[in-house]
Parts: sequence; structure tokens; C-alpha cells
Amino acid sequence: MTAALPVMILLSSLLVAPITFFLPERCHRWRNGLNLGGAVVKLALIAFMIAEVAQGTIYEARLQFAPGLYLLLRVDALSLLFVTLSAFLWLLTTIYAIAYLHGKPEQSRFFGFFSLCVAATTGIALSGTLISFFIFFEMLTLSTWPLVVHRQDARSIAAGRIYLTYALPASALLLVAIVWLESAVGPVEFAVPADLLLIDDTSLQIIFALFIAGLGAKAALVPLHGWLPAAMAAPAPVSALLHAVAVVKAGAFGVMRIVLDVFGLDLMDRLDLAQPLALLASLTILWGSARALNQTEVKKRLAFSTVSQVSYIVLGMALASPYALIGGLVHLVHQGLMKITLFFCAGIYDERAGIRRIDQLDGIGERMPWTSVCFSLGAIGMIGLPPTAGFVTKIHLGIGAVEADAPGVLAVLALSTLLNAAYFLPLVYRIWFLDPGEAAATGDPPTERPLALIAPAVVTGSASLAVGLLAATPFSPLGWATLIAQLDYLP
Amino acid sequence: MIGPTGPLLPLAALVWPLLLGVLAALPAIRPHALRLLPLAPVPALWLAVSGVEGATRAPGLLLGVTLAADRPAALLLGLTAALWFAAAIHAQGSMAATRRPAVFSGFWCLTLAGNLGVFLAQDVVTFYVAFAAVSLSSYFLVVHEGTAPALRAGRVYIVLAIVGEVCLLVGFVIGAGAADGLMIGDIRAALPAAPPPGGAAIWLLVAGFGIKAGLMPLHVWLPLAHPAAPTPASAVLSGAIVKAGIVGLMLFLPVASDAAAVLVPLGFAAAFLAALTGLRVRAPKAILAYSTISQMGIVIALVAAATRAPGADMTQAAFYAFHHGLAKGALFLGVAVVAVAKGAWRTGALAAMGLAALSVAGAPLTGGGLAKTMAKTGLGHWEELALTLSAVTTTLVLGWFMVRLAAIPAKEPARVVCGRSAPPMSMALPAGALVLAALALPWWLWNGWSGLPPDYPLRPGTLWSALWPAAIGLAVIAAMAAARWPAGTQDEADPLRAARWSGRVLAPLRAVPARLASVRGSLAERAEASLRHGGTLLARADERAEQALSRWSISGVVVMVFILAVSAGMGLAVRN
Repeated sequence: MTAALPVMILLSSLLVAPITFFLPERCHRWRNGLNLGGAVVKLALIAFMIAEVAQGTIYEARLQFAPGLYLLLRVDALSLLFVTLSAFLWLLTTIYAIAYLHGKPEQSRFFGFFSLCVAATTGIALSGTLISFFIFFEMLTLSTWPLVVHRQDARSIAAGRIYLTYALPASALLLVAIVWLESAVGPVEFAVPADLLLIDDTSLQIIFALFIAGLGAKAALVPLHGWLPAAMAAPAPVSALLHAVAVVKAGAFGVMRIVLDVFGLDLMDRLDLAQPLALLASLTILWGSARALNQTEVKKRLAFSTVSQVSYIVLGMALASPYALIGGLVHLVHQGLMKITLFFCAGIYDERAGIRRIDQLDGIGERMPWTSVCFSLGAIGMIGLPPTAGFVTKIHLGIGAVEADAPGVLAVLALSTLLNAAYFLPLVYRIWFLDPGEAAATGDPPTERPLALIAPAVVTGSASLAVGLLAATPFSPLGWATLIAQLDYLP
Repeated sequence: MIGPTGPLLPLAALVWPLLLGVLAALPAIRPHALRLLPLAPVPALWLAVSGVEGATRAPGLLLGVTLAADRPAALLLGLTAALWFAAAIHAQGSMAATRRPAVFSGFWCLTLAGNLGVFLAQDVVTFYVAFAAVSLSSYFLVVHEGTAPALRAGRVYIVLAIVGEVCLLVGFVIGAGAADGLMIGDIRAALPAAPPPGGAAIWLLVAGFGIKAGLMPLHVWLPLAHPAAPTPASAVLSGAIVKAGIVGLMLFLPVASDAAAVLVPLGFAAAFLAALTGLRVRAPKAILAYSTISQMGIVIALVAAATRAPGADMTQAAFYAFHHGLAKGALFLGVAVVAVAKGAWRTGALAAMGLAALSVAGAPLTGGGLAKTMAKTGLGHWEELALTLSAVTTTLVLGWFMVRLAAIPAKEPARVVCGRSAPPMSMALPAGALVLAALALPWWLWNGWSGLPPDYPLRPGTLWSALWPAAIGLAVIAAMAAARWPAGTQDEADPLRAARWSGRVLAPLRAVPARLASVRGSLAERAEASLRHGGTLLARADERAEQALSRWSISGVVVMVFILAVSAGMGLAVRN
């Protein structure tokens, strides 16, 4: 059982995929049932696993490919955090995607690759070695490309091409780093720290740089972030998944594993790797926010906001003081909740009211109140106003920066907050305070139907508020992140 | 243990307005949402009157909430609750036909909850959340009327409010890091000794609180926002909400800091400057706004002066702010009353306003006189002189206010009482009650709060030092009124000459990434063109191969076989 459960969790989406591929387009009930069923089963298995892990059971599954080459799935506190987030958000995104793509062509193909993508993310979360991580990382790239080009128009195909141009060379760099490391110290397991001191310092620094370059493309670190705004050509469920759950989070998660498990905080300190990483993260935070100011399309602005926000996680890892570590860990969850809310709402605006550009948002609050409230909640969270999830992250990163003696980071956080306010508050103002333009006033009013389209946004929006209000309870993401940091990574 | 411990009344005082705010959104209640407003401050009023011992802890909320009603803050809590109550009753009459009552009521309740929270919070996170709630929700009160001046005032207000929030966040974070904890008392003690950004932290907090309290030169939003809001909202903005900034300084300004040496003269300078600037505007509410800035300057100076002594006794500053809130609230509400009163009622209303104005100026035997007397005991010689002299300028600006108030044309009042047309009781009663409270309550609280003998305010010396500045001011005003001066002053208060100054700040910022992106774009274009040429040849070969593979039957089978093989492999490996 201890070996079967991680595999079962992986299979719950992996097996759904081939079956979905071969379902005829018109068998939508089977397809929806299968995907929803897979999501529910996965969530149930994870809930069971959490209960068991809380009592001390260790879950590990080892699959041998070839002598010396094996796939390891291991559950520790950090992987549990990521896999719970991705399973919960996968369920909501599936519901949303079913409603969003209703009546559109090629749904079987879409949901097949959708399930593969989530299987890859689960694999990334549960991987216990660098090689397993790499395998699922590649699987993620390959399964998300068809989602990005799903619409098959010129824009989507160009976006897919840009995506691969960034992702594949980055994967190559990642493989180089892994091979170099493992050829010197043997297979690297996250749970068992390898003795990296067998390698000289300069090589270790170069290996670290290669890791960051390889993971940074997925994590949208500047200057490797260019694919993310282009990928906005994909349908909204894909953007939601890409930005909140799967791709950028996988990149950030990879950075976490490298910094915390492979290298370790002490080695990072010894090799002086923390400061360049913090500098890179700060640059990304500010550049992403600055670019977002210029955008005129809603989804593009949200994309640059993601570029900026995911680097908070990397910043938390780089600062490495207790509060900063907790802040970075918890932002994995918080940013996921807030960003997915924003993308769900952007998709609803697009589908129901034809809104793609920011100036089309005027006065939509009156006509689509539920969506607009959720959008406003997400925006307020992004700015970091209390008592949302974003505020909890900001205060932890801020205190962490003071603990780590890094006043420059405080300035970065302050500036980032101001920039976030500068590009999110005008959106909220337009939604609620301006009158609709003439084109929008004529024609049928947009409806907030069906329920399956609106409910996921309401759930994640309320969750992003709840995790902030109840942050001090032991079961909140903050409590969880504090536990992870205290048990596993802090002295 | 997630549940709250300790006395529940402080928590109830904060949760109750939030519940009412949510209630206002229900479709059935929306048209009558204003009726909920007087109920909102009731638990807080009860708390202020009855007082509770001990701290309330709610460890599960936010990052652990601790509330308590400590002495100087409890006075301001009572002021806040009473003022919001009076303004809510006033709103029943003055805002009965207003647009979007549900939105107004909802954000009114949220602002009230925040306003009460800043006086009860014992940990910095609760304080920050309450402060954010009061700062940002009051935006909706300011822009409620939806007119162009209101929206413009809102824009200036929100920009400064956000800047203030960010300053406070950085300051709090530095303090919390230095104190290694979230309790306000610990942070205040740790701030002076904090590592290198420590000195900056104190200034950031001063800036953040100064924006809220209207400290010059951070006051520019106040003369725009307070007049633009509807009358009940103006009353609470000037009477209670600016006190959130004051209480922040009371709680966080460390003992014997450098900031105090700057704030005392700055506060007194603001007192004079703001009052004199108020002489240049004509709208009564705008004049009152400048008077608020002036009085808050005095309060800030008193707070800073108190921190110079080891005990940091804030009683005098709190008492002064308490009286000011009552009197300023009365003055704002009175403006609306005078506008709908005629004949004897109008005369009575103007007389009441005159009394309230005299009280703010610190005339002898008024509540304000008591507050000024108490304040003088804690000050050095020059500061005491400045406080006394400020009464001259206060009398000037409020005298000018009375002149402008009397010049308001009377609208046709709503009803007839005893054969005379009368303003609605819902508007007149709260204003009258506040005037009485401003004049009388300080007397009632004198023994318990001042630490001075009971007959102190009645001594000839005290009476004289309160009388002569007011008398001078009144004489000057009478002369000005007789000479019909000033003429040709602005109709609106506009401390910002340039329009779109926020746009000016953001425009260069916005231009930078665009310029960088265009440089990068032209380079990328050239690179892409050469790549495209090389790629065309490869692409043609590639296309042919892809066409073969893209037939679904082939690739689909490949994918399925691959996945089944992996799954089978995993299943086998697990069994081993």
C-alpha cells in the first residue's frame, strides 16, 4: 500500500488520458464523467494519503527501468503541498473547462492532453530523484504544447512555437546539469542529501546556474519569460492551468527542490549563490510589473503579473531566513489560488461578454457582478492588501528580508506593491465605476451562466480570501508551510 | 485551540458592523440599507461606556488577533462609536433619496469596522488590516456622489492611501523583524534599535500615519476628499477617520526619537499654515477641512511632545482629539442642517454652530477650552505659547467658516412644526447632541482624565489665557466681514494646481519598458528574418514527415501503446 498509493494517484489522470483520446466527440457525457471522476478519485486518494502521512506512514514507490536508472515517487511534506494544490485546482479547472469548451470542436483531444498535463504535474510533485523529476518535466512540456496550440489558428501555432523554443533548450540545459551532477556524486535523491562537496566550488556554481536556466524558462524568470505572454493565445482553461497549477509552478517547485533539497541552505550560503538568485528574482519581479503597465489586453496583463508574482517564491528561497522561506513556500499556494481566479474571470469575460481588451471592461461590474467581485478579490490579493492571501505572503517575505539583512529587497517589495496597484486598480475602477461603452450597451446583456463556469471562480476567489483571514489556523496553507519549513529545512 | 478567549465584546464590536455590511447586500434589504447604519456602532458604544478588562485573543484569525481597550485609545473608541452613530442617524434624513444605498451602506460598515479596529488592536497585523479597511473603504464614501469633483478627489485620495499603506507595511515589517514578534508594544520598543533601516522605519511610519492624519505636506487629499463626500461621511472622515492616523502615531512613535524633534515644530507650523490657507476658500466644508488639518497638526505636535518624556503619556493628546472629533462632527453635520433651515430654526442652528466653533477655538468654559488647558500642562514654554497663539488662527478660520455658513442660501425645508418650517429631526438632533457633547463631555471627564484639580479651568489665569486669543480672532473676523473681505477667492479647495499629477508620475515609468521593448523588438526582427530563411528549407522536409505522422490513427495508437506500456510497467514494478 505504501508503494501503491503514489502510483495510483499518478495513474488516476494518466489512465484517463488514452481513454479520453479515443472517445468520439459526441460522447461528451462519458468524457466529462471520466475526467471529473479521475479528478475526484485523485483528490480522495490524496486526502487519504494526508491522513496517513500525518500518522507517520512513509510513501515511496520505486520503478526500475534499467540497471541504475529508476523512477522514484516519494511523498514528503513539500510534495504533499504541491500535489494537493494541483489536484484541488485540477478538479475546479476540469469543471470550468467542460463548461467553457461546451460545443467547441476537438474536446477529446483537449481533455486527453489535459489529463496528461496534470499527470505530469503530479509526477513532478511526487518525484523523489532528479531523473524522475526530469522525466515528468519533459512530459509536461510535451503535453502542454498541444493545449497551447489547441485553437490551431495562426496566433496559437506561433505561440506554441515560441513555447517550444524556450522550453526545449531549457530542458537540454537541465539535462546537462543533472548529468554533470550525477556523474560526479551518483544518483541524487531529494530525501537523501548527496555529498556535493565531492565537486569543486566553481563547478557547483556553474551547475547551479544551469539548473536555474533550465528551470527558469518554465518559472518565467527574466529573460526567459517571453513564452508566457505569447501563450495567452490558448483558451482560458489552459491559461488558468498553465499559470496557476502546472507549468510555472512546476518551474518554481523545481527551483525549490534544487535550493532546499539538492544543494541545501548551508551550501547555498557557502557558495554565495543566494545573492545572485535574489537579484534575478528581484529583477523579474520589477520587470514583470513594469511590462504589465503597458499591456492593453487583459490576459497579457495577467501574464506579466504572473511573471512578477512567481518570482516571489524564488525570492523567498533565495533569502532563506525563516520568515522568507515560509513566505516563499506559502506563495506556491496563494499565488495559485489568486491567479487562477483572475484567469477564470478573464475567460468568463471573454466567453460571455467578448471582452479581450482592458478598455472593454468598462461598466461590466453591473452586468456580471459575481465574476467582477471574484476578479476584484483576485486583484486585491495580487496587490497584497489585507486580509487576502497575497498580504500574508508579503508580510512574511518582508519580515524575512529584515531577518536576512536585505533592505534592498524591502524596497523591491514596496515598489512591486505600488506597481501592482498601478496596473490592477485601474481595472477594478473600470469594472465598477465607468459606464459601459456604446458598443457594449447595445446588444444582449451577458449572462453569468452556466453555473459550472462561474462556480470555480467563486470557489477559488473565496478560498484566496479565506486563507488570508484564517491564516493562523494550523490547517491553513500558512500553517502547512510553517510546518514544512520547521520540520525539514530550518535548523 | 482556535476559538477566541477573553472578553468577547471587543470582537463583537468589530464583527457586528461587518455582518451588517454583508446584510446590506441582500436583495431584500438593499433599498433600505441605510436603516441598518445606526445599529452598527452599538456594541462598540457599549464597550466604550462599560469598559472591559483583559485582552481578547482569536489565535485562528489573520496571524493571531489580540484586542484590548487600553486607556487613551478607549476614549477615541468612544468618540468614534458616538460620532458614527450620530452621523448614521443624520444620514437617515440627509441621504434618504441617495443613489446606490446598499453600496454606500456596505462600505460604510466596513470603514466603521476598520475605524474601531485601529483603537482595539494590540498586534500589528490586526492594526494593519483595520487601517487598510478604514483607508481603502472610505474611498467609496468619498466618491459616492459620483460627480466629477468627487471622482477626482477619490483618485488623489486612493493614490495617497496606497502610498501610505506601502510606507506602513515596510515600517511595520522592519519593526516586526527587529522585535521578532507582532505585538505593538514590542515593536515600538524595538524600533529605535533596529538594524540600519530602523531609522528609516520610523520615518516611513510617520509618513504613512501623516498621510492619514493630514500632516502637512502630506495633507493634499484632505481638502478635496472631505468636502466631496456626502455630509455624514464628511463628519466621520474629519471627526473619526483621521484619528486613525493619530492613534497610529500614539502607538508606534518610539520614546525619545529624532522624529519627535521634527514633528513638534512641524505640527505647530501646520496649525498656523492650514488655518491661514483655509481663509482662501469659500465652500464651508472646505474651510472645515483646512481647520481639521490645522487641529490635527496640533494633536500630532502634542503626541510627539508626549513621547519626549519616558512615560509617553498620551492622555492630553487623546483628550484633545476626543473633543475635536465631537466638535468637528457637529460642525459638518450642522452645515447640512443650516442648508435646510429657515427663520428661527436657522438662527438656532447658526448659534449652535457658533458655540461649536468657539469650542474648537478653545474659548473659556467650553469643552475645547478644557482640552487646550489640559494640553498646555505637558508642553514647554515656546510650545505653550504656540498653542495659545494657534487659537487666534483657529478663531479666524472658523469665524470665516461662520460667515460663509450664514451666506448659504436656504433650501425649502422638509416640514412644518408649530407653524414654522423646520429641518428634519433626524438631521437636527444628532448635530445638536454633538454640540452639547463637545461642550459638556470634557467637563464630565475632567476629573478622571486630566490629573489636574477640579477648579483649575475656572481660575482667572486659565480663563484669561483662553479668552484673549479668541477675542483677537473674533475682532479680526468682524473687521474682515465689515470690509467684505476676502473677495475673489477660489470656490473649490485645490491644493494641487496641476491636474493629472498622478499620470505625470506614471508616464515616464510606463515609457521605459516600451522603449526597451522596441529596441529589443528591432533586434529580434533581424534575427528572426535570418532564422526564417534557414528554416524554410528544413521546414519543407519536416512538413512531409509531419503529414505522415499527423494521421491520427498512427500517432494515436503510438501514444496509447506508450501509455499502456508505462502503466503496465509501473504496475509490475509496484507488485515487486
